[in-house]
Amino acid sequence: MSAGLSIAREEWRLWARSRVVLLAGVIVAVLLVVTSALTALRVADEAEARAARQASAEATFLAQPDRHPHRMVHYGHYAFRTPPPLAAFDPGVDAVTGQSIFLEGHRQNTAMFADARAGADLGGFAGLTPANIYQLLLPLLLIIIGHGVLLRERESGTLAVLLAQGQSALTLAGGKALALAGVVGAFLLPVTALAAYGAARGEPALTAALMVAGYGLYLAVWAALILAVSLWVRQRSVALGVLIFVWLLTALVVPRLGINAGSAAIDAPGKIESDLVMLAEQRKLGDGHNAADPAFAALQKQVLEQYGAEKVEELPMNWRGVVAGYSEKKLTDLMNQYAEKRMAQEAEQSRIVTLFGFASPTLAVGAASRTLAGTDLATHHRFLREAEALRFDFVQGLNDLHATKLTFADDAKRSADPEAEKRTRVNAAAWRLLDDFRFVPDPAAARAARAALPLAMLLGWLVLLGGAIVAGARRLRP
Amino acid sequence: MIPALEARSLSLVRDGTTVLEDVSFTVAPGEIYALLGGNGAGKSTTLLTFLGFLAPSCGSVLVNGRAVAEDVDGARSAIAYLPEAASLYGHLDAYENLGYFLDLAARKVSRAAMDEALDQVALPREARGRRMQSYSKGMRQKTAIALALLRDTPILLLDEPTSGLDPVAIDEFHDMLKGLADAGRSVLMVTHDVYGACQVADRVGLLRGGRLVGSFEAAAGERIDTETVHAAFAAREAA
Repeated sequence: MSAGLSIAREEWRLWARSRVVLLAGVIVAVLLVVTSALTALRVADEAEARAARQASAEATFLAQPDRHPHRMVHYGHYAFRTPPPLAAFDPGVDAVTGQSIFLEGHRQNTAMFADARAGADLGGFAGLTPANIYQLLLPLLLIIIGHGVLLRERESGTLAVLLAQGQSALTLAGGKALALAGVVGAFLLPVTALAAYGAARGEPALTAALMVAGYGLYLAVWAALILAVSLWVRQRSVALGVLIFVWLLTALVVPRLGINAGSAAIDAPGKIESDLVMLAEQRKLGDGHNAADPAFAALQKQVLEQYGAEKVEELPMNWRGVVAGYSEKKLTDLMNQYAEKRMAQEAEQSRIVTLFGFASPTLAVGAASRTLAGTDLATHHRFLREAEALRFDFVQGLNDLHATKLTFADDAKRSADPEAEKRTRVNAAAWRLLDDFRFVPDPAAARAARAALPLAMLLGWLVLLGGAIVAGARRLRP
Repeated sequence: MIPALEARSLSLVRDGTTVLEDVSFTVAPGEIYALLGGNGAGKSTTLLTFLGFLAPSCGSVLVNGRAVAEDVDGARSAIAYLPEAASLYGHLDAYENLGYFLDLAARKVSRAAMDEALDQVALPREARGRRMQSYSKGMRQKTAIALALLRDTPILLLDEPTSGLDPVAIDEFHDMLKGLADAGRSVLMVTHDVYGACQVADRVGLLRGGRLVGSFEAAAGERIDTETVHAAFAAREAA
């Protein structure tokens, strides 16, 4: 057996005989099982609620009798984003952003089904996800287990004996690194099981494997840091203090600094604030329900010229439907302009926060984890865009019916004339214009490409700490 | 005859402070040499230079005739080192400790050979399967010596080997050292125990303030006179 493996095996034997390590292991195992179960239950619960809401909304929509098409615009229906399998491990931004949108005419609704209940369940315990445990608690546990990995040898004098009998310090450090790698390997078992479960439920093997690799890299960074500190300081208590300080800094302080920096650099008002600002501009567009609104005078002139007509009654289509479609298009352009601006700001904020991953492996792994799980901001934004495209097509489909199936004369007097009102009703069979919306997560390669930067950050950390370990081993003395 | 250990005008300056100054002595094969001195005299530092952990600022140290600076691996492979606190793993029993250290030293040793070495140092059989955290210091010292025997190194460096041992254990330890020397092993021990040094050593060097200020040698078949050494030690310390 090689010396490095012997050293690692001895370390494992020490840990296996240590009650502290066993107790810590049990605590983590329980936490992971409980959080995995709670997160999976919550995700399933929400999926069930979403499906029920969707079925109910669709049934209501399809059950509508013959109606005026514009009335159907306001019945609307839902676009749902089913969380990808790895969301049970890392719900990412889903817990805040929501995963379903009610689609209706003239407005872009906010996504719903955000995880508002987290915090109410079990006093906030439900908010702790398996990803949180990996990102925050496992490094702490690694510190508790490993901070004395070399200093214990120094303090007990065995380091002197080992070095004096010709043991190379690099081999010794290598053996200790292998020992810590063994612990990291054991820590990866739960995420491996969850990734395998995800893969069995349709998650691409690449993203599932990268998720495990990403957390392996992250925990390896912590293991390398622990070993480096153990090599560079001379007292176990000092090493523990230094490592806890680094944990506080990188896991708690830097991420918040990153968020503050992102918010300070990019002032991104929320949807409600930007909607209020947009209202003023929206009013200038005119009211699509009123075909006589002066805002549509230019359009009227252009259309009349196009068809060689003197007045709208002479047009071959329903002028009211034309205005409804035109108005919806203008309104949608405006709303999209604001939405795109807001999403660009949010994406820039997110990019700034991710860049703080150079200073915090916790931030880096969080970004990689959300991206690979398909619960990152970019995925949410794509959902918003696709849902909006769906909404627009749906509303314009009804506006087309309004313009082509109804006469202007009937439409104009339908409030006063019951017969005309009857003739403005479109056959209920037309309501089947709803697309069967299925949000598909980004392909594995795209997610992997987006996760490349944070994963590279982790790799950079590992290389840097590897250098510190080699330098520390070279100057190792009893 | 090539000395097993030799310090030639050894000087060491650390952080601007002279720790050793022009120290010269030799330890012959089969000889027990005790380096005596008070706290901070430079005794342990001298041992560390033979192990290559500290490089001389001036002069040299040699192991079996080769400068440690030129062949530190060769020096370490010839030496068994026992730090002041006999340093083995408390969570392992005697067999596991021996097995681990020997494994790292690339020596394959059978359980029977371990028992033979442990018999030689008189470690009770019933204790050998117990974790070392329950051992007395004397028992740990014995196990550490057994490790040196099994590594079969010709040289032992001992740092305060009897500190903390009771008188009976000290006598046992001295007998064991004499047996090892009789078998041809060279022993360099550093201690501040004048009586113990005179009991067991063939020669005693007196170290003070990093300088070797006295040397005492037993007449043939006799022990070094404790009173003489004690007087020199006390005088130098008082000075």
